[in-house]
Amino acid sequence: MKFGIFYEISVPRPWERDTEKRVYDNCLEQVMLADELGFDQVWAVEHHFLEEYSHCSAPEIFLTACAMKTRNIRIGHGIIVCVPQFNHPIKIAERTATMDIVSGGRLEVGTGRSATWTELGGFNVNPDETKKTWDEIVHCLPKMWTRERFGYEGRSWSMPVRTILPKPYQKPHPPLWVAVTSPGTEIDAAERGMGSLGLTFGSFKEQAEKVKNYRRIIRNCEPVGEFVNEKVSTVNFLYCHEETDKGVKHGRRLLGTFNFLAAQLLAAREAYPTKSYPSLGLLPTLRQEAAGPGDDHGVPEGIAIGDPERVLRACKNWESVGVDRVNFLLNALETIPQNDVLESLRTFAKHVMPHFRDDTQAAAAAGGR
Amino acid sequence: MPPRLGKLDAEAFAKAGAHEILGYKTEPWTLKKAQILNLNHEIDDDLGDFLLPRTMHPAIPAYATFTVVVCAESPVGGFALGEVKVAGRAGVRPRDFVLRSFCDNADARRELAQRWGYPTAPGEVKLTARHDRVIGTIVADGRSVLEMEMLDRDMISGNDIQYLASMHLARNRDDGQLVLVQVDPEFTFAHAERGRPLIRMLDSAACGDTGGHLKLRNPISMSYAIADIALPKIRFICDPERPAFQGTTRVAA
Repeated sequence: MKFGIFYEISVPRPWERDTEKRVYDNCLEQVMLADELGFDQVWAVEHHFLEEYSHCSAPEIFLTACAMKTRNIRIGHGIIVCVPQFNHPIKIAERTATMDIVSGGRLEVGTGRSATWTELGGFNVNPDETKKTWDEIVHCLPKMWTRERFGYEGRSWSMPVRTILPKPYQKPHPPLWVAVTSPGTEIDAAERGMGSLGLTFGSFKEQAEKVKNYRRIIRNCEPVGEFVNEKVSTVNFLYCHEETDKGVKHGRRLLGTFNFLAAQLLAAREAYPTKSYPSLGLLPTLRQEAAGPGDDHGVPEGIAIGDPERVLRACKNWESVGVDRVNFLLNALETIPQNDVLESLRTFAKHVMPHFRDDTQAAAAAGGR
Repeated sequence: MPPRLGKLDAEAFAKAGAHEILGYKTEPWTLKKAQILNLNHEIDDDLGDFLLPRTMHPAIPAYATFTVVVCAESPVGGFALGEVKVAGRAGVRPRDFVLRSFCDNADARRELAQRWGYPTAPGEVKLTARHDRVIGTIVADGRSVLEMEMLDRDMISGNDIQYLASMHLARNRDDGQLVLVQVDPEFTFAHAERGRPLIRMLDSAACGDTGGHLKLRNPISMSYAIADIALPKIRFICDPERPAFQGTTRVAA
């Protein structure tokens, strides 16, 4: 079991000159600390127009800055919206290869298709088409990375034969992932030999079923890339504090803030009737899960907030259902002061991480054993 | 920084459109094989805040929903209902705030208002399904309020459609309090289509928008369906002047 961090980059109003800079600086500081503490991946989403919720429309820039300021942590560019109006496929191949080079081969590539009308409508995208364009692009991407020359005639995009440059530093190419939100998308990931980048968590029972399904199907997959990336990640909130009450109180504030923000966004399915979006997608689903029935402290099942013992228990449960990695959301609207976020990372690394690792690097970095 | 919330002056707005509701004890109604024409349209974000009560916060982007429903039968006979609504959120739940509804049956108007708080006014509401389009119109006081069309009809599944629960501004006869009544009908679909939305004409002032805040922007989608509608018991009411997190009361299990 490994641990990563996951950024939406949520910026509170009022938006003064320094507000976004302060949030970005805070995120970078957290990433540097996470790298020192032994977190193994940092992911940043691609979102557009999502006021306050996510000001992360150019994650490749933020992640490149992360790569320049860190040594070991892997750089998760995801998800990249694989819809030509958002990102031309050639640009995706070029951009990711460049990131892989400058990060020294630390890139992970997450793919998806956006789940909000806010974004799809903003780019004038037909929601019926996004799954098809995603599928086309994920089949093309490894070929664009690995073949000297590449040409394509497809449904949603085409190009004459050209040499797409540069090529990724990792050989044959960076690992590929699929954002899994709607039910059944883990099957799409498995069939294509891609990692399952869970952006909702559901109950342990539900997740166990999904993982089992994923691992069964991926055994007979037709990989889109040169290798199979059999990995299951899920997303969670993190606020870890040695005092239970403070951990729960701050953590619940984080959940509440995230839920309120996510509620404002307009899910594709809410506005536009289509079978292409059978569920409301990440935001409402995560919101509902995070508002589910809780324990004695009102903390929903599996959420990593509270004291180290409670957070450890939650993580062990995720491990027991077959999850390989948990990626944590650390803040929303800066509702948790930066020093507390950093302290939460240290507390997690000191008291929780060692239970999942053989080495003592994390604990030592956090001042532990 | 406080969250972005609606800016509607509920008391002033209620004077023109809200009715009295007789407690919250109504029995459910089932409206069999109702025809529903529904159009979603983005509206101006900043102005849209003035069309939502302070209980609610806006969707991003702000949007309005225009609906024509024809019910061939009900406990008070057949009726047609036209609604102009602004979508928002009550807490974390997506909800439509009904600016005004129009109904062609006086008995239905009375029952809908007294049981569920519908802000109904008299109006002639029509739905016409043609081979290439479905047309919905509302006429009140001899003037056209809404003319909308769904073009390029295409079959979809009823499972693909999501209608929001609605919030009705009404005055409780028992205590005189102004309340937002949440009405969350259930739909059992027999037929569903989607098409290209077109609003030919909208008189938003006739829907209570006397400040000219309902400015249409980008069209989103339109659907036509035949469904059984279950109008349920009332479960929640909200204080129209307080955010839903603080001002929501459960009135039935």
